[in-house]
Amino acid sequence: MKAPQNGRGSNDVSHGCENRRLSGRLLAKSVPYAKASDGMTVVSARPSEWVRPVTSKEPASAIIEIDRVSQVFQTSARRDHVALSDISLTIEERAFVSILGPSGCGKSTLLYIVGGFVTPTSGAAKMKGQAITGPGPDRGPVFQEFALFPWKTVLGNVMYGPRQQGVRATEAEAQSLALIEMVGLKGYENFYPKELSGGMKQRVALARTLAYHPEVLLMDEPFGALDAHTRTRLQNDLLNIWERDRKTVLFVTHSVDEAVFLSDKVVMMSKSPGRIREVIDIDLPRPRRRSELLLDPRYQKYVVDIERMFDESDEAGIAS
Amino acid sequence: MSRLLSANVLLGIAPIALIIALWQGLVSFGFAPAVLLPPPGFVFGRLLQQLATWTFQQEIAATLIRLFAGFAIAVVLGVSIGIAAAASPAINAVVRPIVRVLAPLPKVALYPALLLLLGFGHGSKVTLVAADALFPILLSTYYGASTVEQKLIWSAMAAGTPRTQILFRVVLPAAMPSILTGCRIGLVISCIVVFLAEMITSTDGLGHALVTAARTFQAVDMFVPLITISLLGLILNALLGALRSYLLRGFPEA
Amino acid sequence: MISPAALIRRAAPVLACIGLLVVWQVASLVLKNDSFPTAVEAIRAIPDILGDKEALLNILASLRRMALGFCVAVLIAIPLGLLMGRSRSVAAFFNPLLMVIYPVPKAALMPIIMLWLGVGDITKTLVIFLGVSLPVIYHSFEGAKAVEEKMLWSGAAMGLSPAQRLVRIVLPAALPEILTGCRTGLVLALITMITSEMIARQSGAGNILFNALDMGQYDTVFAMIIIVGAMGIFLDTIFERVRARLVRWSEPQFDLPLSFS
Repeated sequence: MKAPQNGRGSNDVSHGCENRRLSGRLLAKSVPYAKASDGMTVVSARPSEWVRPVTSKEPASAIIEIDRVSQVFQTSARRDHVALSDISLTIEERAFVSILGPSGCGKSTLLYIVGGFVTPTSGAAKMKGQAITGPGPDRGPVFQEFALFPWKTVLGNVMYGPRQQGVRATEAEAQSLALIEMVGLKGYENFYPKELSGGMKQRVALARTLAYHPEVLLMDEPFGALDAHTRTRLQNDLLNIWERDRKTVLFVTHSVDEAVFLSDKVVMMSKSPGRIREVIDIDLPRPRRRSELLLDPRYQKYVVDIERMFDESDEAGIAS
Repeated sequence: MSRLLSANVLLGIAPIALIIALWQGLVSFGFAPAVLLPPPGFVFGRLLQQLATWTFQQEIAATLIRLFAGFAIAVVLGVSIGIAAAASPAINAVVRPIVRVLAPLPKVALYPALLLLLGFGHGSKVTLVAADALFPILLSTYYGASTVEQKLIWSAMAAGTPRTQILFRVVLPAAMPSILTGCRIGLVISCIVVFLAEMITSTDGLGHALVTAARTFQAVDMFVPLITISLLGLILNALLGALRSYLLRGFPEA
Repeated sequence: MISPAALIRRAAPVLACIGLLVVWQVASLVLKNDSFPTAVEAIRAIPDILGDKEALLNILASLRRMALGFCVAVLIAIPLGLLMGRSRSVAAFFNPLLMVIYPVPKAALMPIIMLWLGVGDITKTLVIFLGVSLPVIYHSFEGAKAVEEKMLWSGAAMGLSPAQRLVRIVLPAALPEILTGCRTGLVLALITMITSEMIARQSGAGNILFNALDMGQYDTVFAMIIIVGAMGIFLDTIFERVRARLVRWSEPQFDLPLSFS
């Protein structure tokens, strides 16, 4: 594993947290959970020494290779529905890649194939040169539906992965507590998922996945079920977390803003059959701050250009 | 809120109180002879008196042993078959038609056959209880296990759970609400069936106490076992309810 | 056109029946117990029972009581359940009473009711009525409770009176759940019928069963079990067909019955 620029072990989450007083200020224990909104700041200020200069373009190596993948589903009417048609895509290590497209374009299916949850009808996906045959802890999913274990507390959920990996209970608990603090849920360790709001649930889901140190994060419209306000909070927090160890992220979304704001690269997909339409590099400086970026003409141009491209394809679709 | 609650409680007690009042009225105004319909006070007095006697306690014990044995067998079989049927298409293909045939079958009709095969002792009654309580538990386990959210399983698999453990670590706990609903139905059925089996043929137990009283036309002693089984049912139901809310403390619907 | 897979799926219950009979046959041959006739012997005894005019009349009388008890129960239980589901106070009024009655075996009331009303049809029908009512009330209650409030608001906005809303909106919306209750009730009616006859021992299918047991006619016992079992499966299948037709619009439900005695 490559040493990250900041000189810390990329997995050493607990250590990282000690130095950054992250979430204390909004998580006074006296706040009853029902009143706590999602407006919790994860990282209030980011010390500048953590910021990796954008200019350092290391030679990128491929971590995920998708090779001519097609996925055909049989619908009830005995007609085949081509969800994905001949998709080839390479994702580089440490890249934040978004897959953007209208609903029904098979973008989630593509993610599930990389996750090993779905086997493609033809073609293959590889992780570090190895064919993907099933789910594994090197690829951690975060689902729109959160998919938290309802019978486990926040801590129990986050500890699940490390315990499965054979980490000793005390150690797993210490790591998990640090992660819970990092995602801004200190004080909620013993709450059950049902007692949390949507945004908080998604924070737990993210912590649960980070807890087993996946090399790639697979995010399936993770903020799709959240209200607009919570959504932007979580986008900011996700970027802040990501800046620390820059895991590879594959992020599925149907929101153009979200994709441009977060990603290094946006993969635009078109519908029926699901195909890659365009891959766009987002050349915006990091670390990104929402307040600055929204005013940045380059950001605006990306958003407008991508939206225009989708509009054109829609019109073409209507015409045909 | 609490006033509303107590109003509802009062409202709920009303029909029970009305029935007892009607009962008392029928006796006091001479519409029903006390031989056929003993006054409620007399019945409850008799109940308390009986509960203190060793012989009646033994009858309760006999009933409870059969009830628990049958119910336990039904839970173990029902949960394991239900989970297995949900997990394996092959087992499902076999279990499904058999359950379809056996579930609507009136199990009481099997009782004579059980008597012939297993004798008149505990065996036949326990088996009948198990057979009757099995299907609701099996069906709701199967239902719960086959509707576990796919992404829950995926999340666990991605965290490194081997396929063999998914069943115990994800499917079983996720199906727990449904399993416990089945158990609740199964428990009430166990109460009913054990009593009936004892009524049809037995030498002890609450059902037998009722039949003995009926033979000698002791109306009071007929009410006592009936009220006892109703109370037992309520107590067991409440215990299971407490267990349920403890086990399902994380689930939204509980 | 039916594909082979679909054909197997349709035939599966029949195959299961045959499988169970084969298991029985083998078991009885292995056990070689005098009181455990083989499946073939039991099936051979069926025509004797059905040919006996008195036995047939007995069984038909049982079925008539069952049908009557079931129909009356359904007619009373559905409106009660729906009212309970839509009105908190009605629910609060009846719930505790029903909870007390629930674990009491309805057939166990036989001896007491016999004391008052004799051993006649009324007693047995009353017991069947009691047995069927509870699950139907319970399911109607649950069904009515789950009806979406906004659907009722729309109804009220269209000018439906509360009674009209109950009949036109709550009843159809709760129908799938109500029919599930009726299905359970139907199997229960059969069970209560047999149990009550086993306890009263005067006439009916349950009586034939135990008389044969007392007289050591074991093949008749087992033949009666087959007849009663077939009645249960037959009634359940018929009802399921009707149910599926009535609530075609609803989500495909769990297709196995949750029966109990």
